[in-house]
Amino acid sequence: MTTDPGRRIAVTGVGAVCALGHTAADTWAAARDGRGGIARHRFDPGSNGPDAHTTAVALVHGDVVGPLEAALGRRLGHSLDPFAMLALAVSHEALSQAGLLASPSLERRTAVVLGHGFAGIHSLEAAYERFYGQKAAKLHPVTVPKVMVSAPVSAIAMNFSIKGPVFAVSSACSSSGHAIAQGASFIASGQCDIALVGGSEAIATPGCLRAWEGLQAMTPTTCRPFSAGRDGMAIGEGGASMVLEAADHALARGAPILGELCGIGLSSDAFHWTQPSLEGAVSAMTMACEQAGVTGADSVLISTHGTGTPLNDRNEAAAIHAVFGANAKRHPVIATKSAHGHLIGAATALQGVIGLQAIGAGLAPPVLGWLGPDPECDLDLVLGEARPIEAEVLLLNAFAFGGLNTSLVFRRWRH
Amino acid sequence: MTALCDELINLISDEALVDKDKLTPGATLADTGLDSVDVISITFAVEEKYGVEIADDAFADIANFGQLLSILEAAVEKKAHSPP
Repeated sequence: MTTDPGRRIAVTGVGAVCALGHTAADTWAAARDGRGGIARHRFDPGSNGPDAHTTAVALVHGDVVGPLEAALGRRLGHSLDPFAMLALAVSHEALSQAGLLASPSLERRTAVVLGHGFAGIHSLEAAYERFYGQKAAKLHPVTVPKVMVSAPVSAIAMNFSIKGPVFAVSSACSSSGHAIAQGASFIASGQCDIALVGGSEAIATPGCLRAWEGLQAMTPTTCRPFSAGRDGMAIGEGGASMVLEAADHALARGAPILGELCGIGLSSDAFHWTQPSLEGAVSAMTMACEQAGVTGADSVLISTHGTGTPLNDRNEAAAIHAVFGANAKRHPVIATKSAHGHLIGAATALQGVIGLQAIGAGLAPPVLGWLGPDPECDLDLVLGEARPIEAEVLLLNAFAFGGLNTSLVFRRWRH
Repeated sequence: MTALCDELINLISDEALVDKDKLTPGATLADTGLDSVDVISITFAVEEKYGVEIADDAFADIANFGQLLSILEAAVEKKAHSPP
């Protein structure tokens, strides 16, 4: 994708809900302060399933629905699966920050593109437990609209009267990266002025977690990106969103500008379901950096895919060395999945929301769970506590199962 | 109005996210804000809560909310009075 250099893409609002907090600001504060949200939880599949089991995940705590109902001035009840409710909550926050709630701008030339690796798993699993477990022939009549992967974007369009292109995208752990790229392309092409982008994921159910454990990529303890002794990823639930907006449009209406999206690199490994390839990662990162005009003089905050699996982290460290060469260790490296878990389809958007605040504040949040150096992950990891940084550029990676890669570059806003 | 009616109106309001004030006996379904999917969801919720079965075409000919409520009430009462 080529962005029109005449049409810069600003970020004018962000939203987040995850184990670290119910807002983008709370999420950032927890990440910055090194407060992690991964903990062991017990999952009981009920009387028709096997025994309950305990696993390390990062869950959203507290009531998301009540405050959202109050903010929207209408009841939501049980009308949405958690993955759609989370998407609606973060969209409300981002649109509110951008000053776009009830704005006529949403009626035309505004897109909504969200990414999800899965769909309404909580509702689907409950339906199948009724069907196969309880042998009940009749399932809840709105099971289909609750489960479908486009439920969140439809809910967002209906609640905020957004009438432009609205759809969901899916590419496993890169889903919200592709959503951001797609939203940006609507603006760059001139088709839209605003794109609400991001993702959400809610897959911490007894059955789905067992499916993940089948891959043997899940940690029994906690996520330890780039560390010696790392033993896998931890699933997180939540959502994150950004309002992308043509900079001229944002400036004309006096909107706050939190950063600029200036590079997008998309690639496919065409290689393996679960093993990453060096070539695919290098290709995406190089493309994004070239488009953004990142030079050797730039200090870059690298928000890694950093899942804490032995294979990903080794491959990503090698890719960073391949892209930046002798300068590789000049760039601070963060891996916030160690705090909020892996939000799969929402991971890129959440890390973007955190990363934008990091370059805005000039502080890099620490990698958690680190036990000691791995010689194959020789990077400038931010460890222990938040570190003051010079970087005004954020490079954000996502390398999904199935070999689907997105790298995005954001910059601190300058006129 | 019976206690069961009150209970059913609360359930309908919660399930379909409609204002209880609109759920008056003479109101048409359009007046109440209930659509066809709401009616199916309400039926499902009543079946679940009270362990009753309501035919798919039970509401085919209703003219107002009072009739919908009567059908639900009758189904629940029939179950209550049937031998275990």
